[in-house]
Amino acid sequence: MAQKIGVYLDRENIGGGLNLDELAAKTKEKWGELTPVVKVVPIMAESVPEIEADIKANDLDGVLLCGASPRVDSGFYRFPQEDGRKILVDHVNLREQCVLCYENPDGSPVDPRVAPELLKIMAQDYINMGVVQLQKTTPADPAVVKGVRRILVIGGGWTGMHAAIEASKSGYEVVLIEKNDKLGGAVNNIPVASPLRSPWADKEPTHLSELIEDLDKDPNITVCLNATMKTLVGEPGEYKAIANVGGEEKSWEVGAVVVATGWVPLSEKYLAPMGLGSSPAIITAAQFAQMLVKNEVKAKRIAFVLDTTIAEKAFAAEANEPEKDILEAEASGKNAESDGENMDQPYVKEDLESIKHLAYSNVVNSVGMLRQANIICDKTGDAVQAYIIYKNMAIPGILERFYRTMQNRLGIMMTKADVTSVKDHGDRVVVSCENTLLGMDFDLDVDLVVLPCGIVPTTAKELVVNFDYRQGPDFPDLELFDGYADSNYICFPYETRRTGVYAAGCVRQPMTLDLCEEDACGAVLKAIECIESGDRGVAVAPRSGDRTHPIFNFLRCTQCKRCTVECPFGALDDDEKGTPKPNPSRCRRCGTCFGACPERVISFADYNIDQVSAMLRQPDIPKNFKEGGPRILIMACENDAYPALDMAGLRHKKWSPYCRIIPVRCLGSVNAIWISDAMNKGYDGVLLMGCKYGDDYQCHFMKGSELSHLRMENIAETLNRLRVEPERVEQLEVAIDEYDRIPELIDGFVDRITALGPNPFKGM
Amino acid sequence: MAAITLQPDMDFVRRLKETGGHNLKECYQCATCSVACPMAPDNKPFPRKEMVWASFGLKEKLTGDIDLWLCHNCGNCSDLCPRHAGPAELMSAARDIIYRDMLKPRLIGEWMSKPSGLVPLFLIPALIWFIVWWIRASIVGSWFPRAADGRIVFGTIFYGDYTIDPIFMITFFGAAFILAHGCRKLLDKFRPEGKLAVIGKKKNWFVCLMEVLWEETGSASKFAQCEEGPATGEPHKTRRFSHTMLVWSFCILTFVTTVVAIGHWGGKILPFILIETPMPQGFWVKILANIGAALLIIALIMLTWRRATLNRHQASNYYDWYLLGIIWAVALTGMFTQIFRLMDWIHWAFVIYYIHLVVVWMLFAYVPWSKLGHFVYRTAAMVYARMYGRS
Repeated sequence: MAQKIGVYLDRENIGGGLNLDELAAKTKEKWGELTPVVKVVPIMAESVPEIEADIKANDLDGVLLCGASPRVDSGFYRFPQEDGRKILVDHVNLREQCVLCYENPDGSPVDPRVAPELLKIMAQDYINMGVVQLQKTTPADPAVVKGVRRILVIGGGWTGMHAAIEASKSGYEVVLIEKNDKLGGAVNNIPVASPLRSPWADKEPTHLSELIEDLDKDPNITVCLNATMKTLVGEPGEYKAIANVGGEEKSWEVGAVVVATGWVPLSEKYLAPMGLGSSPAIITAAQFAQMLVKNEVKAKRIAFVLDTTIAEKAFAAEANEPEKDILEAEASGKNAESDGENMDQPYVKEDLESIKHLAYSNVVNSVGMLRQANIICDKTGDAVQAYIIYKNMAIPGILERFYRTMQNRLGIMMTKADVTSVKDHGDRVVVSCENTLLGMDFDLDVDLVVLPCGIVPTTAKELVVNFDYRQGPDFPDLELFDGYADSNYICFPYETRRTGVYAAGCVRQPMTLDLCEEDACGAVLKAIECIESGDRGVAVAPRSGDRTHPIFNFLRCTQCKRCTVECPFGALDDDEKGTPKPNPSRCRRCGTCFGACPERVISFADYNIDQVSAMLRQPDIPKNFKEGGPRILIMACENDAYPALDMAGLRHKKWSPYCRIIPVRCLGSVNAIWISDAMNKGYDGVLLMGCKYGDDYQCHFMKGSELSHLRMENIAETLNRLRVEPERVEQLEVAIDEYDRIPELIDGFVDRITALGPNPFKGM
Repeated sequence: MAAITLQPDMDFVRRLKETGGHNLKECYQCATCSVACPMAPDNKPFPRKEMVWASFGLKEKLTGDIDLWLCHNCGNCSDLCPRHAGPAELMSAARDIIYRDMLKPRLIGEWMSKPSGLVPLFLIPALIWFIVWWIRASIVGSWFPRAADGRIVFGTIFYGDYTIDPIFMITFFGAAFILAHGCRKLLDKFRPEGKLAVIGKKKNWFVCLMEVLWEETGSASKFAQCEEGPATGEPHKTRRFSHTMLVWSFCILTFVTTVVAIGHWGGKILPFILIETPMPQGFWVKILANIGAALLIIALIMLTWRRATLNRHQASNYYDWYLLGIIWAVALTGMFTQIFRLMDWIHWAFVIYYIHLVVVWMLFAYVPWSKLGHFVYRTAAMVYARMYGRS
């Protein structure tokens, strides 16, 4: 709780003809002793020494900086005290979201030298809101965990081994558990790899045995063969990993986990429509690799068929069925809440293997078949004819160079084509192709047909980590990614929705060995970030460095379990009675729990129910709707909507001056009480601006904007009961780059509210 | 079921690479070349499809492809190719393989394809003319005889009526016969494609021939189209002027030869048209002959300079250099023969004249297997394409 707040107005950055001295005087008058210092400074960034002096002289414990957006230069304004006293700092956005976006309600031109009355009111409102916000903020008390500097790597294949070595090099202890009796995983079946390093032009030996030797020699790395995970207990920084090692139970304390469990080949039944199994001359890439290792390839003409349309069509019906299930489930009103009802039943792992994995594996097969064609050409001095028939030749990144070299090989012939049939004719196999680059349909007579291999992530088939979490032992929503432990964030590839557990390699996405290595490093870096953040009690991405965490007032908790169910990260476990048990280092600080809580028992040091309620009560709502205009409250998601508003302001996009904007951590953190508070206060409408939701969600916390959307239904009910039109509350989606749509979105809403007329509660 | 079973011929790919299409496998089928080509028709444009046929070793497809002959080798495609796969060089190499393989005796085609073959190719006419020289020398009594009035008269050794004329007649008509046979074979290869490509009414072949001759030699409008093609950012050396000049000099020299032949043989029947060689320098036929020779030399210099300074994406192969080389040899030996004769250096004059006869014979006799054959094959192909509406 800030008791003595210094308020500073930045003359350089505010403008708009506002009389800052008048604003300062009014602020001082309103808040009196709470704000012993209210000053107008010429340039905020240059006034840091002055502010520091004021802090000392007046014993300030909070500083409110009114000027540019908090997103600008906030790094300048940190005031560490020698005596360890914490100075709270907050910003009031008077530039981007007040002066720059100001527009007269009638659209008449604004004189930049004389501030209109409405602009003065808006600026004063925002300053008051800022003061209250700071007044209701307490210094953060970070939830520090142990931060055990040991990383568990699950899976001893190419990715896992590289992850272990990388982690060890960075000074972390590693426990590597491998299910099989030897290391290497799928690489044991790869005679020679695709290019792994510059010049990226030719196949390369894997040097697997040397790698295993390095691993064995490393004193930091403990390798356990024949080992599977039994369970993972606790939270990042101080997990307890329990594994079954050759029938014996072992456990370690680990800080973070890298999941590199790789993949299993797609069932051969899916390739039967392409002739697999009907002839010894039709084989998979994996079988061909084994033949290469044994030097058994006698064929002179080999067709590598990358176009799997025949198989995909044959299994199209099956592949679409699960989606139908989901649609039906959605239609029958299944939502996040009802998911929670099933949580107490024993967990049954759903097999997510499907024909789709074949198409997803196209990149790896493209590179792999080039590599195999290359090997066979090498062995025979280009005496073989290796045809590569593709639908989409997909070569990732720099492997383009490999493709070029392969293309140049005399023995390799490539064409795009639709393969219409693969038939065994006894002495030869005929591959029929249509729509080819050669400008004609043709048959290929070959001695051997090599079919691609589907990469099915282990997470589609089994529980690889076995979390001891209230939300279940598996990664959530795997079906969205057809079983791949793919990242839930667009821009952070190794994330999973279990903080501290990072996926790398083919379990995440089919990829070539060079990318697996890169992935291993990336996941290890994330693991290290997680351990070190836990050690300091701060959040990991996307709110990296946040020192706050949700605090529960258990006295008022009714054990409704909403928070434990809705947490996108499974951060909350519970006891037998259903009382939530927070695991702060699993938490990403999105506030979804506190948006869900009907009893409002959850709060953050700098963000809580009471604070926002108090803030939204600050503006004076004119009693006369016609004279003073309506008032609209905008709750804007800090991640995308708020920056979009800033950018719109910077680009001189203008919108209604009747709006007051409050940033929120995520729309998932918007508690219904704020909306009823706003209605009671007399606001005519509440607009929630957040990220896109649905399958292509952009929500930084996956579920936030979707949950908010679901909660809107309940809010509408409440409003109806209060005889307030539910149309007064709307949720709009806005992406970070859609600043140009901002005026249209806001003004559209204001127009709809104006048409509705004043809030019936106004003035009561 | 598709009708065609692919029969890739890897040796064919190897030979295309050796003959000049070194980078043909680099092609990734983006079709920039087909877009860049000013000659490519809208329907199935070239040379994109030729590139993939080449990398698949589809010999029949490629050698029976009429589009090879629609290409005028401007090099726009090679300049613009993002992979430097050299489509122009590939098209050129494919034509050269046709020169080489289409006609018997194959051995000549084989010799014509590489520098080492020059030895036997040279020795054949060298032997023929040496025997002539030897026999005549033993009759006349001297290897380097002078005429009664002391002039150098080559006829004393290489007596026109019984040596040069019959040998060249046989060579000329023999080559013409073989060329005609080559044309027939070439057109036969186009046939299946021709049937598919008929658009509208088939045109009269003579009208088509006249149109083609006008476009190619009269107006050289095809070369103009090539040069007006897309900007490639590379320096382009025009061929329109030099190639036309070369063609016209050939026409003049052919005309002069015909006039002299008619004058000589016809003069035996109608004495008033008799032309005796050597002709006086002031005689109009002689003047025309010298003009032709001068044009030939100038055109040769320009074309050689162009080939020597092609931009970095284009290349010349052995067939290109052979043709330029043999014409150079004909022109230079012809010129020096006359110079030495006028300077009265009798030994030099006879020896150079002898070499002149050898290279002229080479030029004519080997036409069906050489790049020079294009004046017949290309004309035939273009007439055919025009008749069937593809151009």
